[in-house]
Amino acid sequence: MKRLATFLIALSIGGSAYAGEVTVSVRGADGKPVPDAVVMVYPNGQPSKGPIKFPWAYRVSQQNIQFSPFMLVVPVGADVQFPNLDKVRHHVYSFSPGNKFEIKLYGHEENRTAKMNAPGVVAIGCNIHDQMVSFIRVVDTAYAAKTDANGVVTVRDVPTGAITAKVWHPYLRGMKNEKALAITSVGAGAAREAVTVELRQPSGHH
Amino acid sequence: MFKRLQTKLTVLYAGLFALALSVVAVTVYVAIANNAQRAVRQELAATGTVFDRVWALRSRRLQDGAELLSRDFGFRAAVATHDRATVESAVTNLRQRLGLDLAFTVGVDGDVVGLDPSRLDLETLWTALDAEDGAQGVFAIDGQPYQLISAPILSPTLTGWVVFAAKLDEREMQALEKLSAIGLDAQVFTQRGRVWVSADQAPATNALVAFVAKAMQEKSRAPSRLRSDGDNLVLVQPIRALDPTRGAALVLRYPMALAMAPYRPLMAAVIVVGLIGAALVAAASWALSRGLAKPITALDEAARRLQRGENVAVEVTTRDEIGRLAESFNLMAGEIRDREAEMIHQALHDAETGLPNRRALERAIQTRLLSVAEGEQLVIVAIGFDRFTQVRAAIGYELATELVAKLGRRVAETAPGLVVGRLTTSVLCVISTATHIDEVLARADNLLPSLEAPVQIGGEPVDVHISFGMATATVGDSDAARLIEHALIGLDQARARQKKLMVFDAEAYGDPASNLSLMSEMLEAVRHGGLLLNHQPKLDLRSGRITGVEALVRWNHPTRGFLRPDLFVGMAEETGHIRALTDYVLAQAIEDQARLRAAGHEVMVSVNISGRLIDDQAFAEHAIAQVSAAKANICFEITETAVIGNPDIALAVLARLAEANIRVSIDDYGSGLSSLAYLKQIRADELKIDKMFVTALASGGTDALLVKSTVDLAHSLGMKVTAEGVETREVIAALQLMGCDLAQGYHVAKPLAVEPLIAFLDAWPIDLPVDTESRRIA
Repeated sequence: MKRLATFLIALSIGGSAYAGEVTVSVRGADGKPVPDAVVMVYPNGQPSKGPIKFPWAYRVSQQNIQFSPFMLVVPVGADVQFPNLDKVRHHVYSFSPGNKFEIKLYGHEENRTAKMNAPGVVAIGCNIHDQMVSFIRVVDTAYAAKTDANGVVTVRDVPTGAITAKVWHPYLRGMKNEKALAITSVGAGAAREAVTVELRQPSGHH
Repeated sequence: MFKRLQTKLTVLYAGLFALALSVVAVTVYVAIANNAQRAVRQELAATGTVFDRVWALRSRRLQDGAELLSRDFGFRAAVATHDRATVESAVTNLRQRLGLDLAFTVGVDGDVVGLDPSRLDLETLWTALDAEDGAQGVFAIDGQPYQLISAPILSPTLTGWVVFAAKLDEREMQALEKLSAIGLDAQVFTQRGRVWVSADQAPATNALVAFVAKAMQEKSRAPSRLRSDGDNLVLVQPIRALDPTRGAALVLRYPMALAMAPYRPLMAAVIVVGLIGAALVAAASWALSRGLAKPITALDEAARRLQRGENVAVEVTTRDEIGRLAESFNLMAGEIRDREAEMIHQALHDAETGLPNRRALERAIQTRLLSVAEGEQLVIVAIGFDRFTQVRAAIGYELATELVAKLGRRVAETAPGLVVGRLTTSVLCVISTATHIDEVLARADNLLPSLEAPVQIGGEPVDVHISFGMATATVGDSDAARLIEHALIGLDQARARQKKLMVFDAEAYGDPASNLSLMSEMLEAVRHGGLLLNHQPKLDLRSGRITGVEALVRWNHPTRGFLRPDLFVGMAEETGHIRALTDYVLAQAIEDQARLRAAGHEVMVSVNISGRLIDDQAFAEHAIAQVSAAKANICFEITETAVIGNPDIALAVLARLAEANIRVSIDDYGSGLSSLAYLKQIRADELKIDKMFVTALASGGTDALLVKSTVDLAHSLGMKVTAEGVETREVIAALQLMGCDLAQGYHVAKPLAVEPLIAFLDAWPIDLPVDTESRRIA
């Protein structure tokens, strides 16, 4: 399904004759793969113009008193759905600057949406259940994705030429929890980079 | 160390008790101290545990408060949206509600709300908060230690921390101190670099600071003693600090003096009771040892007095060993006294008669001499038993002794208080005082008849004859022994003169000391010619010629003038110098005879030979050699008694003399004990009749008969007879009639030196004047 979707995107965007892909492998200091790290590629260092559409659903569901997925990448202006699949009620909120919202107590099978107005990090919590934490990365580039369980992510259909790229993770030790990648250009083929990041223990989630 | 038994015992007992008491006191003190210390240790440890518990509880309470706030949605929203005013009001609200000293938030970006960040080391705090969720511990704010509690603010990610702080000041510590059962002192110490400082206002002493530093370094968790700063028991308990480089410690301190305080009355009681006990024991042992030592001291004193010869007895007060010792001592002292008295009695009394002996008399004289008054005389009277040996031989020793004792009693009865002693076996002694000796002589004379009355011995009367010898002493005399000697000599002198009473005649006795020096002077005279010979001619009554002379030695003493022969000849015999004297006389006689021969007079020279030399063969050989060499005509005059001593040798010697043509004459015949038996054996040429028979010859009587018969006896034994002591013409005539051969005496001639003798012989008429006389008488 995922693969099919990727294929479809490639088809849709791959109209331009010159396109390449960037594959980044993210590992922790301990050598373990780091999932849910977001790689963002900016051709010529510029945000994407025009509407951005990612092939995955803009949805963070609540199930088993957990947010799922833990990490969601959405473009600016996206409406993110927060369906409650649990039998208990939740009170979802975010104090993140630019993307503050609060969805007060709503119950089972109810769905709410919130609009992500500004690029940046949206830390989502539940006022009732402290252990519930997830992140939405609101990006202003079309070339962004999060690493899989193996810590690998491939960003496709990146126009050839100079790029800037960075990796972000909520627990990454660094300015804005980001780290710039070494890769600076994309050719016709695949550009690869393995990056090692240092993560810290998440606070308050025992 | 102690010269007195009492002191020794007292010190020993009191010392032992004091020692035992000290041991008890020390033991009690150590036990109490250990107990107190253990109690304090336990209390300290307990307080330490309580503190931990209190600390944990408070931490929990603060933590709860902090977490409550950190999870408040509105608060979180305010923090997340940097609503400082809201946040500050929220923390202030909670601070007041919980009664906290400080409450503030620290953002993950280092933003501090509710507190001036300059009051603390923000970076260290941030690092500590970031390192651990809910970090807590001691942290310095304004340089003062605070207990900090933190809680993370999650919205939902970590946006900061709520921090509560409670000041660890004295007030806080006093609250902790109140929790303890004992009044301990609690302080919080924090580390500044290497130095530990107290949170108290008052600075801690260096010793305590050093102690805390050491304990923290060594991680010692047990209470230990700190003595340098008062005696304290100190527990150092580390407190978790936010900054690991700046440790904190809770220091619990308890003065030992305080721990010991409850026991102080007990200790004081022990010491007081001990001192009283020691005093009692000292007094008791003083009294006991006094009781013990007193009789011993008395015994010691008594023994010393006994040693000095005093009459002592110890009072027996007890029935114990010491009492028995005192009894034994008294018995012993008594026995010693008795024995001593007996010994003194024996020493001073004659064992046979019980009369005081010579020593006792000497003492008595010595004592009396000291009290002789001026003008008085002390008279020592020796009362001698005449012929005692004969009496004793007749009646036996025992009865003779009884006789002496009875005589002693008889003498004692003559005057009250008269001391009668026994000087020798047969001599008693009386000491008397008189103004003149004549009084004593008269008294003795008066008493003599009654004293000489027969004594009844064994029922039989025994005749008693006594003589008195006396010696006098005047003031200044001190030699009792000499006085007794004089009395004895006086007795001898009385007997010699056949008197009943005689006072010691010092002149007659001479001076024994000077006599002794006389002998050495005589030997000197023998060697260097101070002696000379006088010769008394002997007249041949038949031919009327002088046919012989008797050589008589004379000594012209350089200071004493001419000395009589009987003064030094007898002494020479007694002192063993007679040989030297006789050798001289013999040599001189031979020389004188040679001179007479040279003058044309051939006379025999008679030499007196002492009885002591008769049995001296060496002398005999010497004399024979001398006489032979000079071809001298010598006659040896000896006494008959001289032969009796050692007749065999003496007779052999006389035979040798006869062989050598030396004549032998028996001298002094009739005066001594004449033995016809010896007279028969002695091969003598001449018999000299003693002058005591010759002098009174002229008056006729028994003497004439004796002389006549002696002349006849001698003639019949082949001896010529010489009569000595011829002093009158009548005697010569009588002797001629009796047929006597020779006459010697003053009537013929007195002893003459050689030169006068030669002159005398030259002048001697051939015609016998005696003949004419005798013829005239006839």
